[in-house]
Amino acid sequence: MKGMSGNKVKKGILGFFMNAILIIFSLSCIFPIIWMLYSSLKEKRAFNADIIGLPKNPTPGNYIRILTNPDYHLGESMWNSVRTTTLSILLIVLFSFIVGYILARVKFKMNRVLYTMFLMGMLIPIHSLLVPIYVVFQRCKISNNWFTLILPYVSFGLPMGIFLVEGFVKSVPVSLEEAAAIDGSNFSRTLWMVIFPICRPILVTVAIIQVFSCWNEFSFALVLIKDVSLQTVPLALTQFKGQFASDYPKQMAAMLITMAPIIVLYFVFSKQIIKGMVSGAVKG
Amino acid sequence: MLTTIKPKGKTIFLYLLIPVAMFVFTVFVPLVTAFVYSFFEWKGGPQKTFNGLENYITLLHDNTFWKAFGHNIYLVVACIIGQIGIAFVLVMMVNSKLVRFKTIHRTFGFFPSTISAVCLGLIWNMIYHNQYGIINWFLRAIGRSDLCQVWLNNTKLVMLLVTIPLIWQYIGYYMVIILSAIASIDTDIFESAELDGANGFQKALHITLPLIKNTMLVCVTLCIAGNMKAFDNIYVMTKGGPGTASMVMAMYGYQVSFNQSNMGYGSCISVAIFVLSLLVIGGTRGLIGRLTREKEA
Repeated sequence: MKGMSGNKVKKGILGFFMNAILIIFSLSCIFPIIWMLYSSLKEKRAFNADIIGLPKNPTPGNYIRILTNPDYHLGESMWNSVRTTTLSILLIVLFSFIVGYILARVKFKMNRVLYTMFLMGMLIPIHSLLVPIYVVFQRCKISNNWFTLILPYVSFGLPMGIFLVEGFVKSVPVSLEEAAAIDGSNFSRTLWMVIFPICRPILVTVAIIQVFSCWNEFSFALVLIKDVSLQTVPLALTQFKGQFASDYPKQMAAMLITMAPIIVLYFVFSKQIIKGMVSGAVKG
Repeated sequence: MLTTIKPKGKTIFLYLLIPVAMFVFTVFVPLVTAFVYSFFEWKGGPQKTFNGLENYITLLHDNTFWKAFGHNIYLVVACIIGQIGIAFVLVMMVNSKLVRFKTIHRTFGFFPSTISAVCLGLIWNMIYHNQYGIINWFLRAIGRSDLCQVWLNNTKLVMLLVTIPLIWQYIGYYMVIILSAIASIDTDIFESAELDGANGFQKALHITLPLIKNTMLVCVTLCIAGNMKAFDNIYVMTKGGPGTASMVMAMYGYQVSFNQSNMGYGSCISVAIFVLSLLVIGGTRGLIGRLTREKEA
């Protein structure tokens, strides 16, 4: 009996420590956001006097100042990011679907060549393209435009999307398309009316993975965009860092505004997002 | 492959034209361009002079570049140990019957990996800040204000300090990947091990780890690829400084090309980044593959 209770105590202590460590870890992951959330409601002076305490007189002043001052271009940056991300995602999903399906099902001479090409696209260290892509885009006079960033974002997102779709299509029985063909449906009709609805879950996964990488992408935006009015959110934030040098509450407010869509999206769909990102990482 | 409906070659061509053209234009054209310009002296202006292998010879003797490469390797090693190691330990805890709030740990833990590296860099800048940072606030609070310093100006510590946010950001990410791999293991195995008297530690090391070997391999590959391209948070936090104390390859390529507008040499660095990253990724893959195969035999 004595041994049993000793074991129980040991288990209790072990459980306590494991719970404590995990809770500390989890809190550390959201603490920065919470710290920013309440600190952004402080005036600069109040923050500098006490960086960690809760605000005594919470005020939305920082948010109002940032959103109403056109010099900060925050609204514009948000719009640029929303437009770039939305168009990139649409194109990535569309192209991944088309190319992935064709590579999986249609026999033609170039099939394996294209397959290998996109496979190589996954292996290429993208950051080595940072300087060359600037040179090429400058040459072709397509840098610093509203559509500029869509090109690299779509191209870099395509390989993983194509392989997820290709793998998925291969798991779908061919009999479906054969039945459609017997019913007189041509290739395009079958592609859009029969295959597309079946592929929806994998396309949602592709979209989820890419939303975050497009919204957060920084290095190519830094190189390819020069106009303040064309910059995306991450670029705008690095500008604020200089402008609001030591006005932390204001910087925090700006960051929270730009993170808001991501935070809301994440906590509403966290289950699907985690699932999608993991399957993308492991299969891709 | 389809046999009953054979689409016309023209249809396929039209469907593939735009995506393939776009991909080739943004990935392969720049690669070839970089390779060509790496043999030129080109300061960004209209004038380019062919100078053969001179850029490559300079590169071989460029201490800053090799130091930057070393820092990338440092990041890779630190993150494999930090991210995947810590993630594995935490997963073992989350999977224990004694732990509660499993879903919350997963949701909160994964959250930082969805935030942009720029935001996180800015947040950690605030945490490290001399006057208004949390670290110095904490040191003052426990009465050790003598330890307070301008953290990111410390040449000796700066690499460690820029690595900590990176590790912290992705622990949850790898945690979730490992968790999903473990979830697919047959629970019978654990039960019979428990009956045989294996404790939690033994189970983790001798049963779980070998069974999720492939997932761990994926994690390591992701970790290497992710850290060879480190740029965003370095740019935001230190710009490679103080001096070159936290320089990484992508940051150096950027500085040479855009701050010194030495596009020829910048192209040469880009080619080097390409080759070195592929070598490191391919090399470790081969190494791990070999090691695991030997174990099985």
